[in-house]
Amino acid sequence: MSLLSVKNLRTWFHTRDGIIKAVDDVSFEVAAGQTLGIVGESGSGKSVCCYSLVGLIPKPPGRIESGQAIFDGIDLLTTSEKQLRTIRGDRIAMIFQDPMTSLNPYMRIGDQLAEPLQMHRSISGSQAKDKVIQSLEEVGIPNPAKKLNDFPHQFSGGMRQRVMIAMALITEPELLIADEPTTALDVTIQAQILDLIQSLRKSHNLSVIFITHDLGVVAGIADQIMVMEKGKAVEYKDTESIFYSHQHPYTAKLLSSIPTGAKPVPTNILEDSDNNTLELKNVSTFFTTYKGVFKKSIASQTKAVDNVSLNLRQGEILGLVGESGSGKSTLGRSIIRLLEINNGTITYNGLSLHTLSQSELKQERKKFQIIFQDPYASLDPRMTVFNILAEPLLLHSICTRKELLKNIHELMDDVGLERKYIRKYPHEFSGGQRQRIAIARAIAVNPEFIIADEPVSALDVTIQSQILNLLLELTQQRNLSMLFISHDLSVVRYICDRVAVMYRGKIVELNQTETLFSKPEHPYTQSLLSAIPIPDPKKEKSRQRIPFGSA
Amino acid sequence: MKHFEEINNSGEIVEEGTSLWRDSWLRLNKNKLAMFSLALLILMIVIALLTPWITVYSYETQNLDLGATPPSWEHWLGTDTFGRDLLTRILYGSRVSLMVGFIATMVALCIGVLWGAVAGYIGGRVDIIMMRIVDALYALPFTIFIILLMVIFGRSMLLLFLAIGAVEWLTMARIVRGQVLSVKRQEFIEAAIAIGLSPWKIISRHVIPNVLGPIIVYTTLTIPSVILLESFLSFLGLGIQPPQSSWGLLISYGVETMEEYPWLLIFPGLVLSITLFSLNFLGDGLRDALDPRVSKD
Repeated sequence: MSLLSVKNLRTWFHTRDGIIKAVDDVSFEVAAGQTLGIVGESGSGKSVCCYSLVGLIPKPPGRIESGQAIFDGIDLLTTSEKQLRTIRGDRIAMIFQDPMTSLNPYMRIGDQLAEPLQMHRSISGSQAKDKVIQSLEEVGIPNPAKKLNDFPHQFSGGMRQRVMIAMALITEPELLIADEPTTALDVTIQAQILDLIQSLRKSHNLSVIFITHDLGVVAGIADQIMVMEKGKAVEYKDTESIFYSHQHPYTAKLLSSIPTGAKPVPTNILEDSDNNTLELKNVSTFFTTYKGVFKKSIASQTKAVDNVSLNLRQGEILGLVGESGSGKSTLGRSIIRLLEINNGTITYNGLSLHTLSQSELKQERKKFQIIFQDPYASLDPRMTVFNILAEPLLLHSICTRKELLKNIHELMDDVGLERKYIRKYPHEFSGGQRQRIAIARAIAVNPEFIIADEPVSALDVTIQSQILNLLLELTQQRNLSMLFISHDLSVVRYICDRVAVMYRGKIVELNQTETLFSKPEHPYTQSLLSAIPIPDPKKEKSRQRIPFGSA
Repeated sequence: MKHFEEINNSGEIVEEGTSLWRDSWLRLNKNKLAMFSLALLILMIVIALLTPWITVYSYETQNLDLGATPPSWEHWLGTDTFGRDLLTRILYGSRVSLMVGFIATMVALCIGVLWGAVAGYIGGRVDIIMMRIVDALYALPFTIFIILLMVIFGRSMLLLFLAIGAVEWLTMARIVRGQVLSVKRQEFIEAAIAIGLSPWKIISRHVIPNVLGPIIVYTTLTIPSVILLESFLSFLGLGIQPPQSSWGLLISYGVETMEEYPWLLIFPGLVLSITLFSLNFLGDGLRDALDPRVSKD
């Protein structure tokens, strides 16, 4: 007997540009105490599918065209809004991707958690308080009684997601819908949250629908997996069959896109030679906040990068790994002087970068470029591809105005963008195409060295592998050196020659990629490596996590 | 940005303005209401410029025998209590009002946008000092400021622009600064720095185009308020004096005689309203046209 049974669900969006079939004839079942993973790329309809069940899709333009969703004898799609309200948040709870935006920043945690309780149960204030403390304890928040009066911003990202889970589970629901609950989290935190959901599922006999774009994440926790593509369920089987005997080519594509193993083509780098192009010695970058009317006296100082020494060889891709807040992006920006360093030296082929004057720096900037994480934010929304690429070319006189169009066309060819898109604006492209534009802009000035700051983190897994291969190709063709910043260890393993692990502003380990992955020395590295989800249910279930320091 | 060549769809290079401006113009062309408003405003400006040559009556010669008459075949919009043709006075008034409205707003716009963009972009100590100057000017009582100006410089049209511009740019600077603060944190600004653009080019090419929306909306709201502000200043003795006319003066005069001679209020009010509507429609159209993210239809 299944708890939730969805049949032939169709949710269409009637927009000005025509009908978008977001969910098209999807059926699935969730049994009590079971976990269903819904996997797909962005825009595949996996979220809309679940939002339709609880009446959370915007209507109009959304409309549920047909279907049935029987939850404990009630059809969720046809029941009244009033009855749906008694189910939603009580018997069906949800957690969302971004714990930053899904908690009300102006409401104390205690009040926020008590809200669904007071909504759905007639319960006194002190009883509610006890219940809140109990559920915070359950999700592993230390000293819950003292945290009741805290605001969401006082918690870290992982803790905030725990609070979200506590809030979802406080009414003891039968079904939990988790929409990408770990995507915004670091790999070690992700592993903790997955463990938590697993253990709560067992202790509460909870059914879970786990929406994700990452097959690796659901390998260990899902009983069944439904793979969605363009609104349709292309494959729906138990987890092991999906991984070991899938039939649909799209499932195969998703699985093969997950970066696994070592770099396909090792770069020819002279081992231990003196061909260091970039050398960092004892570099520190502090974030200082000032106080006083003219901001002269120092209020506080954070050591974002703390005494880091590093070297990069010609033609090498060096990975820089760490969790959010470890200072890896700050280090990247410090190297190319988007941030000024406080201590240390940065030498690039004999040139002392940190002492260049602004006018010298302007000239030298063409030697080192940066690719950013979010291709939605890193392109000026009011410039066409032509203008975006023309800007660096003209500024550094890479070509004359007559050759401009030819050069831009060549750049677009190099990064795999069709020439006909030259007059389009960034918002008309998908995330992957935008990242190609950003890469084209970075290589436009023929740089020798590129900082890639999480260039694939915001992309779907299939697009991710295309961009990674493009980066590999370009570095080889153009003999580029690259500092590849990422929190995703499998990506780093796939693309990097050497890897540096950063923790709280310091480099704790630096080694050849394969050595580091097979024999990690620093306990933090060991902990990081043990937290990577493996896209293989059997291995994933037996994976042992090594905790490090305080969670 | 002007030096970038354009390419048309067949891939040839055409040397003319940037694509943002040209694309915006093409998008604006599709907005019928905005184009109609634009045409109406241009027509009003042309008529205002041609007024001395197209009017039959004098704006200042009084005809006390005639007095206030309602609209008739001889006087299309009637006459005022001194027997002067109202249409003529509205047309002459439009010369003053439109000039004050557009020029004073442009002065405010230029100073305000530059000041706000520089303060917001550079930030830190520069920002604090620049914005405290704005605060200090805000705190200056407007009436006293005007009287001071009058005492020092006497009475002139130029002073009118100066006085209005000096007040209106303050709010513009604040709005722009706030917008710039949010734009400058975006990664495309960092990307521009990484390319090696100078701060000035970053402000003019990347920052200002991205804060145009609020600027345009505020500008279209400023023009009518400036037109009315002129009547207040004229009342204080700064700016224009009777028998010259402006819309603001005509309206405040019309209010006094509203019960006996309603047309003296209705017609100047109507003209001002039409201008205001046109400006708002044009402003909305421009805001949408300048944002490539707004859908193309």
